[in-house]
Amino acid sequence: MQIKKQTKGKALAKAKKLGQKATINLIKEKVLLGRGGAGFPTGTKWEMVYNEPEKEKYLICNADEGEPGTFKDKFILEKNPELVIEGIKIAMFAIGAKKAFIYLRGEYEYLENRLKKLIKKANIEIVVGAGAYICGDETAILESIEGKRGQARLKPPFPTVKGLYGKPTAINNVETLANVPLAIYYKDWNPNLRLYSLSGNVTKPGIYELPLGTKLCDLIKLGKPKNKIKAIYFGCFGGCMPHCEKTKLTPDDICGKDCIHGAGTIIAVDEKHSIVDVATNIAKFYEFESCGKCTPCREGTMRILALLENISLKNADMKDLNTLQELAEVIKETSFCGLGQTSTNHLLTALKYFRKEFEERIKEQKDRRRIR
Amino acid sequence: MRIRVDNKNIEVDSNKSLLLNLKDNGINIPHLCYQEGLEPEARCRICLVEINNKLVTSCNTYPKEGMEIKTKTKRVNRARKINAELLMPEHMDKCFRLNKHHDLCNIIGDLGLKEVRFNPTRKYTADLGASVIRDNNLCINCGRCVQVCAQVQATWAIDFAGRAHHEHVTPYFEHDLNDVACIKCGQCIAACPVGAIDEREHLQEVLAALKDKTKHVVVQTAPSIRASLGEEFDMPPGTLVTGKMIAALRRCGFNKVFDTNLGADMTIMEEGTEFLTRAKNNGPFPMITTCCPGWIKFMEHFYHDLIDSNNMSTCKSPHEMLGILIKTYYAKKAKISKKDIVVVSVMPCTAKKFESTRPEMKSDVDYVLTTREAAKLINHFNIDFKNLKDEEFDPALGISTGAGAVFGATGGVMEAALRTAYEVGTGKQLTKIEFDQLRGMDGIKTGTIIIKGKEIKFAVANGLANARELMKRKDDYHFIEIMACPGGCIGGGGQPLPFAWEKIHKRMAAIYKEDARLPLRKSHENPIVQKIYKEFLDKPLSKKAHKLLHTHYYKRGL
Repeated sequence: MQIKKQTKGKALAKAKKLGQKATINLIKEKVLLGRGGAGFPTGTKWEMVYNEPEKEKYLICNADEGEPGTFKDKFILEKNPELVIEGIKIAMFAIGAKKAFIYLRGEYEYLENRLKKLIKKANIEIVVGAGAYICGDETAILESIEGKRGQARLKPPFPTVKGLYGKPTAINNVETLANVPLAIYYKDWNPNLRLYSLSGNVTKPGIYELPLGTKLCDLIKLGKPKNKIKAIYFGCFGGCMPHCEKTKLTPDDICGKDCIHGAGTIIAVDEKHSIVDVATNIAKFYEFESCGKCTPCREGTMRILALLENISLKNADMKDLNTLQELAEVIKETSFCGLGQTSTNHLLTALKYFRKEFEERIKEQKDRRRIR
Repeated sequence: MRIRVDNKNIEVDSNKSLLLNLKDNGINIPHLCYQEGLEPEARCRICLVEINNKLVTSCNTYPKEGMEIKTKTKRVNRARKINAELLMPEHMDKCFRLNKHHDLCNIIGDLGLKEVRFNPTRKYTADLGASVIRDNNLCINCGRCVQVCAQVQATWAIDFAGRAHHEHVTPYFEHDLNDVACIKCGQCIAACPVGAIDEREHLQEVLAALKDKTKHVVVQTAPSIRASLGEEFDMPPGTLVTGKMIAALRRCGFNKVFDTNLGADMTIMEEGTEFLTRAKNNGPFPMITTCCPGWIKFMEHFYHDLIDSNNMSTCKSPHEMLGILIKTYYAKKAKISKKDIVVVSVMPCTAKKFESTRPEMKSDVDYVLTTREAAKLINHFNIDFKNLKDEEFDPALGISTGAGAVFGATGGVMEAALRTAYEVGTGKQLTKIEFDQLRGMDGIKTGTIIIKGKEIKFAVANGLANARELMKRKDDYHFIEIMACPGGCIGGGGQPLPFAWEKIHKRMAAIYKEDARLPLRKSHENPIVQKIYKEFLDKPLSKKAHKLLHTHYYKRGL
């Protein structure tokens, strides 16, 4: 695996020799895209921070990997943390930050001591999150580090202009930072190799390193599913699509089906499971993790869960399905931050591709009521 | 800069948000969480418009050259409607009857919301404080109260807690408002668009007293009420309704209608003399006014060093002064037993409700009504307020001066005090009695005057965030006036809703008009004040005056 390679400080030495500007340009040339989900070019982000006249700058390593079914950052931090620390040091050097933070997901606290030993005297502080999904958002992470309520900030100003404590801040994902030393040191570094977290109804879940463009069914085959796979969820926020032979793992191919490639999360759902139950389960997650700041996400996620529970357990009619659709669309269109905006992707895509299952469930319940 | 809105070109100011720009051009975008003068937080997601096929909130979007905005598309309407519907379940029975005071009720009609598909889910217990009560079940988490408390009043008594739909506004550690450093100013009431925060009503008690034939019920009205009460009866903001107000209160059954402006004149006599004494003894400076009960409680919590350093004046607030005078001086003259008199104050203020329950003042004023409650009382008796003929205050304690009237606006106490302090201190007449540097809505205003060859520096602050600023450099001044609410009492927490800066400006103009209209404009020229001192109190700061008209303060924790 490429991600398990070591650079042993040589990449940092090379970057220091190159200088700030050249390091940033090198990262830009190598086309390192952010691996947190949005895919923003890392070099460009660094350049924006570098160009800010402010003297004080910060770097944040976003290790608040909260997306259900995603565990690639944990894999990296467990197997090759040296690479991440070196990546942080390079990034700090490139953008001119004197201090960096590692925002560690609360559940990954057991990694803290090991990271601390690796940090040694570098000015890197580890902040352990308290378990909120929203704090993985790039502006909520700032609030959380500052000691405030974890809620997203208004953008603009963007963090690259006014971030942590009002200073320009670069926020990079663990996988991105781990790839930085590799990109700088190895000539044959492959920007297309991604980590995929495969889970769900497969017998061999885990991290798979595959190039972009691999066929989705090949990845699923590696996971050795017992039953026929019906649907693929790209994490909770990425939405779902029917499993088919043709789909390739590229952002374009997947986005064409209303899903988000995101951070390479693949959750396989087989035929024995109902999409209605999966949707209810995911809705429960969002109902719990909404931060509460804006109306559609705070109130809407709660209502969506109630409607789905109604459909899956009690009694609902077809009108409720329209309400569900309408609510999901408005939440997507009007929420404050990424959490809310993506919180109904799973439902909208499920309603698009698996609407029949919802309708059947509603009918089933009605029939049962009649018998009683 | 020009932008296109609904296929029409309009000229906009690039420093203002779209919401305000559209408002200036006569396009009203419904909104809930944005309040004039506060930073937009974009929580409510109602003020949506469509730009480039995307829905954005107009409160925090700024115009760009060539921007194309659509405000009336199907998508915009649906999104606004559904977001409002999500906020509605707890307001079902209240808001579908139009209540013009609350923004939420006003906008659901515009949005065309006719049915709500969701059931109420909130289960909070109401927080019934001494003057401010909160019902979190009605709250829509717009955050305006939190913002006002932090940004305008710098008190931080309330904030959000909890996550997702459990997020709610609360004082720290879920305490009641009574147990925390809340100053009861009521600005949160003025900010609330749904009536989830309200005053603790004294209306029922007052009605009971009015029914009780054995009681002699006396009402007094604060300087700013006459400039704002009309709004409750659909009169334009800034209409002076002094005569109608007196007539209406008489018809409610009050035995006497007195003027708190007289209490203000008394305050000036005491405070002005206190200042002259300090000037003679070279300190302690600065002397800080104590008319505002919100500021007093704020001081007791956050700045109680001022008590030990004797910077605070010891004068009671005007209505408490008049209250005790009614129960002593007036009772004696009218030959009514003190215990049979009930004093009701009509105040623009919820902090006065708390003040009236202070143990050291408890007996002076029995009940305090806000402007809104006074309107409710008048409506209760089915009085046709608009068509009443003007009447005069009861003469026993009803003659007041322009100096008393200006108490209602920020800088007014200082202006009135300087008029008296200068003339009494120097024995000379002021050539111009308006102090222009003390007028207007600036947060902090300063100036100097020379009394007996001494340069007196004075400063005035309104809004407690400004007061905090002023306190940092308080030693530069000799005399400081602080009013808790923006604009002074005219912007008080008990004034007619909804809050708008424009209304406060108009009320302020009305107050100064009242001052200019009155024949007497200096407190020491008030014949009743002179009479009270002659017959009853001897002279300002006499032993008796100290006993009745002055008070003391407590140090409070946080």
